[in-house]
Amino acid sequence: MAVLTVTNLSKTFNLGTARESRILDDISFEVSGQTFVSIVGPSGCGKSTLLNIISGVEEHTSGDITLTSDAGGPARMGYVFQDPRLLPWRSVMKNMMYVQDDQSRDTVARAERYLDMVGLKKNADFYPGQLSGGMQQRVGIARAFAVEPDLLLMDEPFSHLDAITARGLREQLQDIWAQSKKTVVFVTHDVVEAVELSDRIIVLQPGGLIYEDITIDLPRPRRQSDKAVATLQADVLARLETLKAMAAATEPVAEPVA
Amino acid sequence: MTTVSDQPTSAVARRRSTTEIEQDTPQWRKVLTSDPAARVTSLLAFVLFWVLVSALYDRVPGPVAVWTSLVDEFSRGEVFGNFASTLYRFGVGVALATVVGVAVGVLMGLSQLSRAFLESPVLVALSIPAIIWSFLTVMWFGFGDTSPIVTTFLTSVPFVVVNVAQGVRGVSRDLRDMSATYDVPMGRRVRDLVLPAVTGYIAAGVRFAIIIGWNGVLLAEWFGGGGGVGYRARFWYDANRYAGFAAWVVLFVGFIVLLDRLVLDRMIQRSFRWRDSR
Repeated sequence: MAVLTVTNLSKTFNLGTARESRILDDISFEVSGQTFVSIVGPSGCGKSTLLNIISGVEEHTSGDITLTSDAGGPARMGYVFQDPRLLPWRSVMKNMMYVQDDQSRDTVARAERYLDMVGLKKNADFYPGQLSGGMQQRVGIARAFAVEPDLLLMDEPFSHLDAITARGLREQLQDIWAQSKKTVVFVTHDVVEAVELSDRIIVLQPGGLIYEDITIDLPRPRRQSDKAVATLQADVLARLETLKAMAAATEPVAEPVA
Repeated sequence: MTTVSDQPTSAVARRRSTTEIEQDTPQWRKVLTSDPAARVTSLLAFVLFWVLVSALYDRVPGPVAVWTSLVDEFSRGEVFGNFASTLYRFGVGVALATVVGVAVGVLMGLSQLSRAFLESPVLVALSIPAIIWSFLTVMWFGFGDTSPIVTTFLTSVPFVVVNVAQGVRGVSRDLRDMSATYDVPMGRRVRDLVLPAVTGYIAAGVRFAIIIGWNGVLLAEWFGGGGGVGYRARFWYDANRYAGFAAWVVLFVGFIVLLDRLVLDRMIQRSFRWRDSR
């Protein structure tokens, strides 16, 4: 069953005096339950805007977004941002509980379990300022999983981290995902990351159109050293290079609308 | 021009460590350049200035005359009753101004519509001086506690509102978006996100409320009678005894300074523990 259905979604930004910039142009796709979908594409193709629209932070100009919950009721969403976005004046545990619907003992235990999975249970009473950037991002990931979301959105969560920390967190994310099997929409500009993590990659092109929808059928857990992973990474990277060359040859995104 | 020097041409700059600097600084210099020394020096400079001015102008009572008047008031049994009355009125007025000011400020900071609705009335209230409010409240409520309490509240509440609203508008957009994405209930957002984020603004607002509010309470007591510090200050002013008048002002100013240092300062430090823990 599709957890997320995006139908004919468009987004334009008004630049004033009859000028508009079209970020997403009539795109449609579905995301089935328990799948890990990555959205890749060159800068400015509308990846983060798409995620913000799905999360409700931004409004869309036209089209339809449907979220379905397995449990009936309203769909629950988790979001891992580029930066951790933790309340600096609350402890790690209180940050985990801040986003929870109910504050019961079961929920506390669940939050502790996810903190344990990211290796930060012993830091539950620390303030975010006492943790490194990588540790803070791990709290952000644990927080998002702990709400038991029907759909988990991740917006380039490792882009602000150094390569070694990012690799460690990617491996940790694969382990958590293998245990929780949450439906994930993951935005990244890093093809290597996308191939390593995803069941499917949606490639957006400038102007907000879907350029390609690639299914990845490789066994998990995947490591960059796996030959099949490396071959597929090279293949997707080559396709993205073609797309970038194509984008460079086309007109700028912002254009006057009559 | 040629400069002859026995120093090497390429000087090596060496930065000293904090431990070295600490060891090399003489004790007397450490004491004299400390914060407490600066505070004591500032107070002594003020008293010296006061003594000089009072020596030059006989209409300015000196510290000794003021102190003698204060001791006389104590011995007459006037201090505790009047001070307690003023403290009660001032405390209730400032507490109300803080509660209402924070609530209205948060509302104005969070809601565009509330801001549009309340901005002009707050601006008008901000521009009305304490003396006008004291006249009006004495006319409305007569003598007694109500008039100084309402004057204190009305003079101080706009300062709390403006400070808090400004702070709420500056709350991190990223954290607000995060809260919206996770559908965090509004009550929890205000308690866990907005209020801690604007603690500094609330503290600044309460400081303003205290400073402005004490003007209000003294003026209302001055014109409204009914006892209190303002009433006693006026009594000595009317009697042409400036030392008595100044004694009451000094007493209340001293109290405000102690309140700020011992209570408000510590509360602020406590609420910023998370920042100091880095």
